[in-house]
Amino acid sequence: MDNKEKHIENGWEPKIVAFVCNWCTYAGADLAGTSRLKYPANMKIIRVMCSGAVDPVFILKAFERGADGVLVSGCHPNDCHYNAGNFHARRRWDLFHALLDFAGIEKERLQFSWISASEGKKFADVVTKITNDIKMIGPFKGYQEMNRQFTTEFPEQEKEKLVQQCTEAEAVNG
Amino acid sequence: MTEEKLILKEDLLRICDDVIKKGDTLLAPGKSEYVIVKDVSEIKLDPEALPTKISFKSYVFPKSEPVLYYKRSKNDVTLIDADVNGRKIVVLGAKPCDTGSIDIMKDLFNWDYRDEFFNLRAKHFIMIGMMCKTHDEYCFCTSVGCSPVSENGSDLFLIPLSDKEFALRIVTEKGREFIEPYFRFLCDADTKRTEEVLSAAKNPETAFDPDEVHEWLGRNFESPKWDGIGEVCLSCAQCAFACPVCHCFDIVDEDYSYSEGRRMKNWDGCQFGHFTLHASGHNPRDIQSKRYRQRINHKFRYYVDKFGKILCTGCGRCSRGCPVSIDIKEIVSNCKD
Amino acid sequence: MDELRRFARELLLKKEVAAVIGYEQVGEARTRPVVITDPDECRRLVLNEYCLNNLVVYLNRARIKALARSKEGIRKLAVVAKPCDIRSIVALIQENQIRRENLMILSMNCHGVVRDFGCEFNGDNLAAKCISCNTQSSTYADKSFGEVREIPKFTGKLEYDLSEIEQLPPSKRMEFFREQFDKCIKCYACRAVCPLCYCQRCITDKTIPRWIESSSHSRGNFAWNIVRALHLSGRCTGCGECERACPMDIPLSLLNRKMAMKSKELFGYESGKSTDNPTLVGSYDQKDSDELFM
Repeated sequence: MDNKEKHIENGWEPKIVAFVCNWCTYAGADLAGTSRLKYPANMKIIRVMCSGAVDPVFILKAFERGADGVLVSGCHPNDCHYNAGNFHARRRWDLFHALLDFAGIEKERLQFSWISASEGKKFADVVTKITNDIKMIGPFKGYQEMNRQFTTEFPEQEKEKLVQQCTEAEAVNG
Repeated sequence: MTEEKLILKEDLLRICDDVIKKGDTLLAPGKSEYVIVKDVSEIKLDPEALPTKISFKSYVFPKSEPVLYYKRSKNDVTLIDADVNGRKIVVLGAKPCDTGSIDIMKDLFNWDYRDEFFNLRAKHFIMIGMMCKTHDEYCFCTSVGCSPVSENGSDLFLIPLSDKEFALRIVTEKGREFIEPYFRFLCDADTKRTEEVLSAAKNPETAFDPDEVHEWLGRNFESPKWDGIGEVCLSCAQCAFACPVCHCFDIVDEDYSYSEGRRMKNWDGCQFGHFTLHASGHNPRDIQSKRYRQRINHKFRYYVDKFGKILCTGCGRCSRGCPVSIDIKEIVSNCKD
Repeated sequence: MDELRRFARELLLKKEVAAVIGYEQVGEARTRPVVITDPDECRRLVLNEYCLNNLVVYLNRARIKALARSKEGIRKLAVVAKPCDIRSIVALIQENQIRRENLMILSMNCHGVVRDFGCEFNGDNLAAKCISCNTQSSTYADKSFGEVREIPKFTGKLEYDLSEIEQLPPSKRMEFFREQFDKCIKCYACRAVCPLCYCQRCITDKTIPRWIESSSHSRGNFAWNIVRALHLSGRCTGCGECERACPMDIPLSLLNRKMAMKSKELFGYESGKSTDNPTLVGSYDQKDSDELFM
């Protein structure tokens, strides 16, 4: 049984956050919808005005809040509504992706694409691909473990206790 | 009630081993901080080591801890208290400049509000201090009323007689309770020899008289001396965070989601520019010289006025670790006309 | 050293500069930054292997900038800088933070510095950045002092090897960095000493919304250290001050070095090399690689 099947058998579905640009990819996503194309429902889309307007901390925040993968998508080069937004974004993502990769976040967790307003099909394909990629590598354990920690200098048992407390609190809080 | 005994190093380590086996936490000075000992072979017990880069403060006053959990609903907020179960923490081989730190902070944490978190943790501390046989140019414990042989704050106090033997002084009732089950390891002490070792302690030179400093600070709030320091200091909080007695904290709310989250208590430092920033945008300590003045005044004047104790143990950590080599001893020594 | 003192004194006497930012000796193996406005105080200035601080950080401080302001306009500031520190000056000029014409750069012909205060200067204690240094003197400075001598051969051992960490599998790397970042106490000494961390208000101090948690638990520490490294990528000039200042010994320069390597590999860009280039992240090229993008 490969990884993918194992994760799916557990009933696990990845959470993927997409930051898409208003002018191209969002319209492309619309087109995918109106064209009745089928793609996995794991993607949560956040519309921003330009791929260049996505601050890297948005992505970290998405991971902190439990995203298993993130997609950033905008207009094709030279098609940017603001002329150069996506060119600036491209450099930034090259660096950010390299940094996250070095820090040990799997390459598949953060992906990028250029999707124009007419590429409904491409949008569906990209979503399918990312969902499959993330299903292969499974839940983002690294970050989720971090979410459960409070202080580092506490003795192990105390930490466990605190974690348990937190889980209880979460349970009480629904 | 001080009672003196003799203990071999190997027996001491046996006791430590037992502490670890019982599941209690054993702390000992490591390379740069106090570390939780997992195996007794890690214990060095070196009286000639300088103080670690940061003290064990974080075990009694963690750098970040939840105070409560909250959940918002339409018309209501539900709160769940974070509960703190103090666990027994045994600190082995703490420097005399560290052992007294909890007593100094205790006053603040029990002043207008009794801080349960601090008190519970402090109550469960067993402090095994050890005489210090070294000092460098940054040490000034003798200037603030501490000394390399001070038993202040220790429950048990070790005096290294040789590489293999220690004189063990039982200082408090808590210390006695801790050591009672291990009495079979202790033998009678040769107090004369201990006295010899103690009298050979290398005291750092007294650099200033805290009373004079206190008086000078009262008169020189607007002294131009502060300006020079303000130009060099870069406003990090290394000094505050490494300090065994600095205790400022910040309360922040952290969300899990829109409707639920937790309230955290985090370390904060008076050298940060935004430490005193008001919501209005006004900042009473807007420049670095004012912030450094606050640091010195708080340690040597305000705390003395309020609680009768100097908020400093003379360990010299702030000076040793300062990225721009600001030396607190030098500054305080210059607090005179 | 005497030459520097004389020169600095002249500058102040002739009122060519408002202040001289240099090093003074404190103790045997330690120096401290000093801001001198009184010509007679120039005798305190020193130049030696213990001049560790990157004094360029002071050029962007409000307090120092205020010294340069006068009724007649902005006066020059003189700064003592090692050739490697001059790269930070270049980077700041590129980013329009300071102007070359308002600066008097007093460079020191450098033969390496120690890794930390209190160490004896020899091959064992050479600072990591000096191991493969190739800029012992600078042509960008207004005046250089001291002789060029050979840097001692590095005989010590580095605690962390970048290439070894690169070869670890991702999960192990994350574990490694998390363990390192967990030590962080958020004293922000790394930010304070960095000449390129000049934001009036750091993103981590912004509270509405709070993007980076101020708590120093694993999550907050990870976010802070990643964002710090990101904001310096393509900008860091490798002075290594952050790592030296870190009281918890977190190997911060691993990330900075990796990102400098990446900017060179991907864009052929090296920070602080020339004021003619635009900055890496402040510019773009239509021919940048599209490899990452689907």
